[in-house]
Amino acid sequence: MNSLAFGILAFMLGVYVLLDGFDLGIATIAPLIGRSGAERESAMRAIGPFWNGNEVWLIAAGGALFALFPKAYASAFSGFYLPFVVVLWLLMFRGIAMELRGHFATKIWRDFWDAAFTASSALLVVLFGVALGNLIRGVPLDADGYFAGSFGFLLNPYALLVGATAVAALALHGATFAAMRIAGAPGDRAAALVPKLAVVVLLGFVATTGATAAIRWHDLPALWTGALPVAALVALWLAARNAAAARARAAFVASSVFLAALFAAAAATLYPMLLPGFAGAKGIGIFDAAPSTGALISAVLAVAVGIAVVGIYGTLVLLPQFREKVTINLNP
Amino acid sequence: MDIAVADRLQFAFTIMFHYLFPIGTMGLAPFIAWYTWRGAKGDAEAAAAAAFWTKIFAINFAAGVVTGIPMEFQFGTNWAAFSAKTGGVIGQPLAMEGAFAFFLESIFLGILLYGKTRVSGAAHAFAALMVCLGSWLSGFFIVATDAWMQHPVGYAVAAGGRIEMASLWTVLSSPFALWQFTHVMTGAMLAGGVIVAGVGAYYLLSDRDLAIGRRFVRAGVIAGAICAVLVVFPTGDRNGNDVARYQPVKLAAMEGLFASTKGAPLAIIGMPDVRDHSLLDPVFVPDLLSFLAYGNARANVNGLTAYATELWPPVELTYYAYHVMVGLGTIFGAIAALAVLLLLWGGRLYRARWLLWLLLLAMPFPYIANEAGWTVTEVGRQPWIVYGLMRTAEGASPTVSGGETLFTLIGFAGMYFLLGVLFLYLTLREIGNGPGVAHE
Repeated sequence: MNSLAFGILAFMLGVYVLLDGFDLGIATIAPLIGRSGAERESAMRAIGPFWNGNEVWLIAAGGALFALFPKAYASAFSGFYLPFVVVLWLLMFRGIAMELRGHFATKIWRDFWDAAFTASSALLVVLFGVALGNLIRGVPLDADGYFAGSFGFLLNPYALLVGATAVAALALHGATFAAMRIAGAPGDRAAALVPKLAVVVLLGFVATTGATAAIRWHDLPALWTGALPVAALVALWLAARNAAAARARAAFVASSVFLAALFAAAAATLYPMLLPGFAGAKGIGIFDAAPSTGALISAVLAVAVGIAVVGIYGTLVLLPQFREKVTINLNP
Repeated sequence: MDIAVADRLQFAFTIMFHYLFPIGTMGLAPFIAWYTWRGAKGDAEAAAAAAFWTKIFAINFAAGVVTGIPMEFQFGTNWAAFSAKTGGVIGQPLAMEGAFAFFLESIFLGILLYGKTRVSGAAHAFAALMVCLGSWLSGFFIVATDAWMQHPVGYAVAAGGRIEMASLWTVLSSPFALWQFTHVMTGAMLAGGVIVAGVGAYYLLSDRDLAIGRRFVRAGVIAGAICAVLVVFPTGDRNGNDVARYQPVKLAAMEGLFASTKGAPLAIIGMPDVRDHSLLDPVFVPDLLSFLAYGNARANVNGLTAYATELWPPVELTYYAYHVMVGLGTIFGAIAALAVLLLLWGGRLYRARWLLWLLLLAMPFPYIANEAGWTVTEVGRQPWIVYGLMRTAEGASPTVSGGETLFTLIGFAGMYFLLGVLFLYLTLREIGNGPGVAHE
């Protein structure tokens, strides 16, 4: 049951990465694919119907962590206090930037909010990457399971490497989405960007995988999980190839598979811990953090039913309504 | 700054700002369901009214989501010790709020906003009903969580002092939760009625959208009058009985009652003086407090001095918040009753400009009354975070300092200022655009 709870949580976060990944990624590359304000606006309109719903997965995953593993929730959220608050501010600021940009039609106003939108989105991805990096590396926990280290500790070279790789990987994901959803020049530029980004992602991927193996050499996950990075590499190659061959939808699917494989590999590395201790400190695992079995079963049921409903709704009802491509609005 | 004080300030600020928006969604949802249903039956004016209020609802909903995220995270960031100890209980209703109610609301709001041309009238009306149900269910799970903190039931204490869920059903069906929930909902719907009537009054006073403006005024004052009664009786009364039974110190602080009294009077106004243990310049109704709390005019009501000072909540804040809530509730009741009378008296209400002005200017006050009511509930719960089980001071995150929390509080204040300006701008613009029915 505890492993199932871990799986549900990993699934929810994985879905979040795939979904919010493309809208954070498209924001990161918006200045590269859009030369004018109207062209950049097409990037925002491409994600307009989706981004809010995508973020709901983050909220839901936070709630699920609280119900399933209260101790890990308490320790992680209070231990990463300032980074978490900064993430909240960036999430809000990003939404406000998207909303405000349209209300005054002057160039300087729009340029400012476009830049704010890109910067806050990219910074969010860096912070998410840094958080993931520190989870894999381990954090110094005291005897009560609380985080006992500084902000500086979190910004270590390994975590920053993961953060940088995350920016590149989500930029690629966003580019495949843009190629699929936006008609005209910005969509073409996004497609052309995919193979270039794939090279950057490959470099980051190799460096991160090497560093991870070096950090976790004493505690490598089961051998079969080695298949995940291999699958990821194949998917990355397919994403670049399909994008170059103007098969945008296939490229987006391949990029999704790439991210899912990477995320699954990270989750497999972490399992069965939720917050591993750094340098021999005792960490918090799936059995330390969960409530009693009965309480856990009812929490798992509540969360699983909710996910099923939303997943079915999202794929059956919402997505088909937004099939048509976004075109550039020349008279905004 | 003391960490627990800083955490309480931050929670109070962020939850009070957040709650402004659920008042709007929970209060307007029934009107939207009603107008959408009438619209589906061929009433074009009602369809326009439904579309208009749905837009206002959507702005409230978006602002509620954005300000709701910090609420969910704050349990972990600021109240880690509380979350680690009681997360096995409160994590569940909170997760259910996200998994069921919140998703229900957002899914059907999508259909309501974008689906009008794609789904049938009946399906559209059904979506409106589901949005209403979702927003109320959301409120229920949140209130059930709070009610557990007020009056914990259905839990077991596990090894190491961790508090675990023994029965989810007991937690969700606790009578304390049910009366608190109905009180909260009638309070929100009273606010919804005042908002609808106030916007209608604005159109009538501006001499525009007259037909639909009259409709808003009529629906708003009728719903407001009904809710002004329900919010007092039975919901407020039963809620008060629960407080008298399970939280007698809170009751004493609400009423400014220092000495235990048989046949305790109800203070209509007065200023509590905590140092001298007295109520200054009071206006009393004799025996009424005993009667309201225990159904017997001669019953003994324990005063604050019957309890150790360290168990007292902040007396002044609890007292004033309670009296602001009750006073405003009484005034709403009087305005709504008068408005309904003039409405029934051959529609004189629509020509009574002074009363329309009163309805328009009344709009901010249900918000104040709702916030004051929550202040009574939460400040009056102190010094407990879970009544009788855990102190608020023990709940704060051990690794976060008061200074850090103060810093982030100031940051939130800045962010929310921006958000508040944006919310007002968007809402006022929609009201300015109007429901889009041809002018007479």
